[in-house]
Amino acid sequence: MATVLHKEFIIERDDYDNAGNASSRIKQTLAQLGVPSPILRRIAVAAYEAEINMIIHAWGGKITVDVDDTGKIRIEFRDPGPGIPDLSKALTPGWSTASPKARELGFGAGMGLPNIKRVSDDFDIKSSPEGTTLTLGFNAL
Amino acid sequence: MIKTPSVVTYALSQCVKCLKCVKACPTQALSRVKGRITVDQNRCINCGRCISTCHSKGIVAMGSTLDDIENYDYTVCMIPSALSSSCSSLQEVEELFYSIKNLGFDEVVDLSPYEGQIMKETQLINEEFGSYKVIASMCPVVNRLIETTYPMLLDNLTPLDFPSEVAAKCIRKRLADKGRVGIFNCCECEAKLALAKYPYGNFSYETDHALSIMYIFPKIQKHKGEGRIPVHLCREGLQVCNPYAMVQKEDTLIADGFEKVSNVLSLEEFGQLNIYSLLYLYPCFNGCIGGHLLFGNSFLKKNNIYKLLRQGSSEPAEIDSDLLYSETINKTSEDSRTFKEKVEFFAKVNEQLDKLPGYDCSACGLQTCRIMAEEIAKGNKKVDDCIIIRSKKEKSE
Repeated sequence: MATVLHKEFIIERDDYDNAGNASSRIKQTLAQLGVPSPILRRIAVAAYEAEINMIIHAWGGKITVDVDDTGKIRIEFRDPGPGIPDLSKALTPGWSTASPKARELGFGAGMGLPNIKRVSDDFDIKSSPEGTTLTLGFNAL
Repeated sequence: MIKTPSVVTYALSQCVKCLKCVKACPTQALSRVKGRITVDQNRCINCGRCISTCHSKGIVAMGSTLDDIENYDYTVCMIPSALSSSCSSLQEVEELFYSIKNLGFDEVVDLSPYEGQIMKETQLINEEFGSYKVIASMCPVVNRLIETTYPMLLDNLTPLDFPSEVAAKCIRKRLADKGRVGIFNCCECEAKLALAKYPYGNFSYETDHALSIMYIFPKIQKHKGEGRIPVHLCREGLQVCNPYAMVQKEDTLIADGFEKVSNVLSLEEFGQLNIYSLLYLYPCFNGCIGGHLLFGNSFLKKNNIYKLLRQGSSEPAEIDSDLLYSETINKTSEDSRTFKEKVEFFAKVNEQLDKLPGYDCSACGLQTCRIMAEEIAKGNKKVDDCIIIRSKKEKSE
């Protein structure tokens, strides 16, 4: 297995100005590679959601995209903390820590992680106070 | 198969070769080849951004001329709400219709009842599908933009035909016994010029000729105030051409202006607009009343629409569903390359891209270094075609 694409994106904490930029570039690059659009759509949805989580909930972090020659796409979202206190709750659809105000604005529906899980082929999440690592897998073929 | 080739025409003599148009194109359809601007028919979405950025009028979109009226036994001119918006009262609209008919048409038809019915049908589709996202297909640019840039959203477009096409079908059916019927459409933007057989040879359309409003406007002005034709404007139709007159609902999103529309489409691709079930998108700033081929300021027209809305008296047109529904998109053929071929090409392009300076200066005639790298990888260009690399080489020699 050889790597055909490797890209890294640094995400800054509270950097709302650039929110979504990394996902846009991931989407663009994978489109240039020729990933079919139904798969690209799922990747776009997951990447955007996870990127925004890094900006809002975590202290920034790093996104790493790897594609190998068998068409496996692996996207890793690694942040330095503060970690998700109760992972099983965070994975429950509808559970949210968002304030009522944020919910009024249409955010905090509690579907972030459940949605990411729903659209990705492989889903793995590890979290501790030292940081969270979310690893998603997609098959581009 | 619906074919909508580009209506953008390049006029050589006025062009000052500034490449503004090449840089402005959102779909990289323009390039300069051997000193001439060329338009890639498969990529152009007729948004008119190249035309509006061109200061030297070197790039234009042409419509049919009134001479074409002679080729028919009976001629009809369709008038969109966007053109009525240049009038501030119903009386002025009636005068406008009279002077347009006076150009030599047998009949003038107001498009507002058709536009209104299409909006009503769009809302019905939205209600029927519940939470499924519906993108209103009323502007050909939106459809083409989704085809070329956001293909993931193709299934969300309503399967309704464009208003002028629906009206043309109805008119042709009604006038079946009139011999050779010529249907002309007054077009407020470049995109609508594409929805006609002439002058661009798009034979899949029902409308025969597309007239640019810019072209007929001076001729209409000559006959202004000479008479009136009764007109019954439809409120819903008037709303359709102006995003600010649309009824905003909780689950409806209305956006105008090319950048904002692109932004909405990309947010939709990211799945961030799930609380909205209906999107109305207007690539022209201020909607159809901001069309490039209209005369005058679109903010004044906005106010005119507001005044005309109170004088609207007609219900949306009743249209048979077989005339209303039609496929308006080209599903772009799937990339037939194997993953291995895709990877090889991707690697080749990246290899070339590393050699290029990355300024995206367009001096080579292409919009970005990436497109240049793709052309080199395909064998159509050489690295030496990059002006910067060539000048560096020449200096060192």
